[in-house]
Amino acid sequence: MSADAFLFWFLSLLVLVSGLSVVLLTNPVYSALCLAMTMVGVSALFVTLNAYFLAGVQLIVYAGAVMVLFVMVLMLFDLKHETQAFTRGKITGAIKIASVGILAGLVVGAITIGKSLENIKAVADNAQAADTTKILSENLFLKNVFGFEALGVLLLVIAVGTVALSRSKGGTHAK
Amino acid sequence: MQSSDILSTIGLEHYLVVSAILFAMGMAGVLMRRNLIVMMMSIELMLNAVNLSFVAFSKFNNNSEAQVMVFFVMTIAAAEAAVGLALAVAIFKRFKEVNIRFFEHLKG
Amino acid sequence: MNHQTLIAILLLSPLIGFLINGLRYKSTNYVIAGTVATLAVATSFVCAIMLFLGLVDAPVESRRLTADFFNWIAVDNFKINAGFVVDQISAIMILIITGVGSLIHLFSIGYMHHDKGVTKYFAYLNLFVFNMLILVLGDSLLTMFVGWEGVGLCSYLLIGFWFSDSAKAAAGMKAFITNRIGDGAFLLGMFILFMTFGTLNMYELNALAPTTVEASWLGAVTLGTLLLFVGATGKSAQIPLYVWLPDAMAGPTPVSALIHAATMVTAGVYMIIRLNPLFIAAPNTMMVIATIGAATAVLAATIGLTQYDIKKVLAYSTVSQLGYMFLAVGVGAFGAGMMHLMTHAFFKALMFLGSGSVIHGMHEEQDIRKMGGLKKYMPITHATFFMGWLAIIGFPLFSGFFSKDEILWKAFSSPRGHELFWVAGVIGAVLTAFYMTRLMALTFWGQSRVDKNVHPHESTALMTVPLIILAILSVVGGFVGVPHVIGQYLGHIPNFWEHWLEPVIKAIPANEMTAFHSENHEALEWSLMGTSVSLAMISALTAYMFYIVKPGASEKFKKLLGPIYNLVNNKYFVDEMYFAGIINPIIRQSKNLWQYVDVNFIDKMTYWTSDVVNGGGKVVRSFQTGNMQQYAMYIGVGLVIVLSFVLMR
Repeated sequence: MSADAFLFWFLSLLVLVSGLSVVLLTNPVYSALCLAMTMVGVSALFVTLNAYFLAGVQLIVYAGAVMVLFVMVLMLFDLKHETQAFTRGKITGAIKIASVGILAGLVVGAITIGKSLENIKAVADNAQAADTTKILSENLFLKNVFGFEALGVLLLVIAVGTVALSRSKGGTHAK
Repeated sequence: MQSSDILSTIGLEHYLVVSAILFAMGMAGVLMRRNLIVMMMSIELMLNAVNLSFVAFSKFNNNSEAQVMVFFVMTIAAAEAAVGLALAVAIFKRFKEVNIRFFEHLKG
Repeated sequence: MNHQTLIAILLLSPLIGFLINGLRYKSTNYVIAGTVATLAVATSFVCAIMLFLGLVDAPVESRRLTADFFNWIAVDNFKINAGFVVDQISAIMILIITGVGSLIHLFSIGYMHHDKGVTKYFAYLNLFVFNMLILVLGDSLLTMFVGWEGVGLCSYLLIGFWFSDSAKAAAGMKAFITNRIGDGAFLLGMFILFMTFGTLNMYELNALAPTTVEASWLGAVTLGTLLLFVGATGKSAQIPLYVWLPDAMAGPTPVSALIHAATMVTAGVYMIIRLNPLFIAAPNTMMVIATIGAATAVLAATIGLTQYDIKKVLAYSTVSQLGYMFLAVGVGAFGAGMMHLMTHAFFKALMFLGSGSVIHGMHEEQDIRKMGGLKKYMPITHATFFMGWLAIIGFPLFSGFFSKDEILWKAFSSPRGHELFWVAGVIGAVLTAFYMTRLMALTFWGQSRVDKNVHPHESTALMTVPLIILAILSVVGGFVGVPHVIGQYLGHIPNFWEHWLEPVIKAIPANEMTAFHSENHEALEWSLMGTSVSLAMISALTAYMFYIVKPGASEKFKKLLGPIYNLVNNKYFVDEMYFAGIINPIIRQSKNLWQYVDVNFIDKMTYWTSDVVNGGGKVVRSFQTGNMQQYAMYIGVGLVIVLSFVLMR
């Protein structure tokens, strides 16, 4: 097995196990930590896909900012144990797991059965290690500059909104 | 041989399968977990899965547009997480609970 | 101006009067109300005269003025226009309606001036005249029916005018409901005629009437005309639907004069005269008409003998005289029937208005046992009433004499007549003379039985002038239709009436004439005339004896006849029979239906429906648990289903 393949298998195993842990662990702080692990794993997968810039951004934004935020809020709540972590109701639970499984199966089946993917296999080896960052930035700032600026505005709005939400006295039902 | 081929040559479908399974796990988390924060974390998981598939497509189709898309998705996911957590804090301040079994106000 | 405009003004003038007075219905200003109303009808009278003169000028073959205003119904092959026709028959009718109507409006100003609803009263009167004009001028049965219904409505409104008195309101309802029963039959008759002939236009119906008479009782023409006649019995108060007219005396007296003497009740007779070719083609119907007419004439006259209310006597007299008119048209003497219609309008309206004057002068007293000797207090009223009395008992040379004797002669001699009809008519004449003389004697002549506190007085000029005019008409009105046998001795006066109506009255088919009819029967006619007149005079004299010369004689006679008197006095218990046999069972059935069908069944059905909806709602509501994850699950399941469809395709 080549190094590429081994890396891929290892990283995907890591990501899948961490993801499962996020869902299955009852302590929310443990879930948060496993999620951080998942983010790191995904970032590594980005690297194997030659998306270096995005791998960095993933690490900084997701693993560095969002997860910290999650853990901070969890610390605010001080939840040691979860009473009733999973849904009650065996039948609805079964339906949920079944639907999720079928969904996964459908998608996977669609992917593997799809014949058009054979062509793409050939392209895989021609992947250039081109300067993707440069191409990405050109795309971002020249072609999609409006969206970029809009994102900035969005972030501003979110910042203001978050402050307003946390300072509010509890909405319409406040005493 | 087919089987060794699948194992040794990493193609697009491998990444997509990983992404699909990750997405399914995130969805299961949203449906099954009752803690508000864990639900939001599951949503982040789903978004990550989608990001992964975008980047995979970007590499295998030689298209950098998809990476721009990932950029946007990441930003918006971060913003949404921020707002969601602010809401969760407000709910906790009001109700002293973040387990959604207490919030069935929509019951008709 | 051309005749379409004249017809339009004729029709619209009372309608405008109705609208003007109707919008001011709360006002008690009787001067304005009365003037508006009377002017409206007087305008129509002027138009009627001009139209009549227009007809006189026209040559005999084209004596018909038509006005088609708009297309009312146009469905497939059923077309009815708002069309109006002035021909020989309707010209006479509009003259009577508007002429006598104007006089009655004038009288009403004096009679109703102190009433609080005086403007409403005049509005209703004008509406009535409008509808009556539509009735007589309409050129199709359906247009006539519009007026037919309209006069029924106005009759209800006017009879129940003082509706705060529940008995008066009930009288109004009785009139309307009895009328409606007749109208149902009228409608059925129209349906049959339309089915058979395909048109409801009266001229076309007359043209299409079969020339060979129908022998069977179930022929279309016989059935149709029979049903139309049942409708006429409702409107014109014949057996079996006459019961409303005596009760209708609850309304103001001028209303009784206008509606129940001169105009509305004659609508049935008018309809039959209009459609005389159809009726001639159905001899069975005509026999029924003549029989019922004769029977009603006699029956009503007997009841009139026993009544003590001055208006009730006149009411039964009206029913009886209408019976004469139906007898006339039943034996084919359409012209004589029409003439009696006109003369009856004169003298009966005169007598009703006279009784109104008496009631007004006696301060609302209507019982003739409390009157007597009013001759010296109300000379004009007495003099005019006297003229009317002479006319109705058939005193020679007065108007009633000519018309009634023509009817009696035709009842005897017509191919569709019978000697028994003549006998019944003579009995009716005898009874009429008796009760009318009784009325005169008890009211105006003899000793005064007036209460000490009541001071009778003559009425104002507003009320006496119409009386005088009508009295003059009652005296001379008969000379337009002097029968040939008399006219030849009076300086060869021609029979204007018969010549005028000849083009529109179809003669009885020649094959029914026997040898009897082709000979000259002057002597027979004179002897029959002499018999009936002398019997009537004897009867009048007897009544005079009973009530003036020997006042106690009537009481002794009453005791002698005991139970028979009781029967007649109670109107043969007809009303009671109707109540017991028809009305009360219907009321009971309605109550049952309400109880068992409406409450138990239909209401339960509605509750059941709402329960079903409620239950369904509960079921659907169970989806809304408020559990957000369940909603998300539904989304997921839906996603899976859609995906599988897409991928499996």
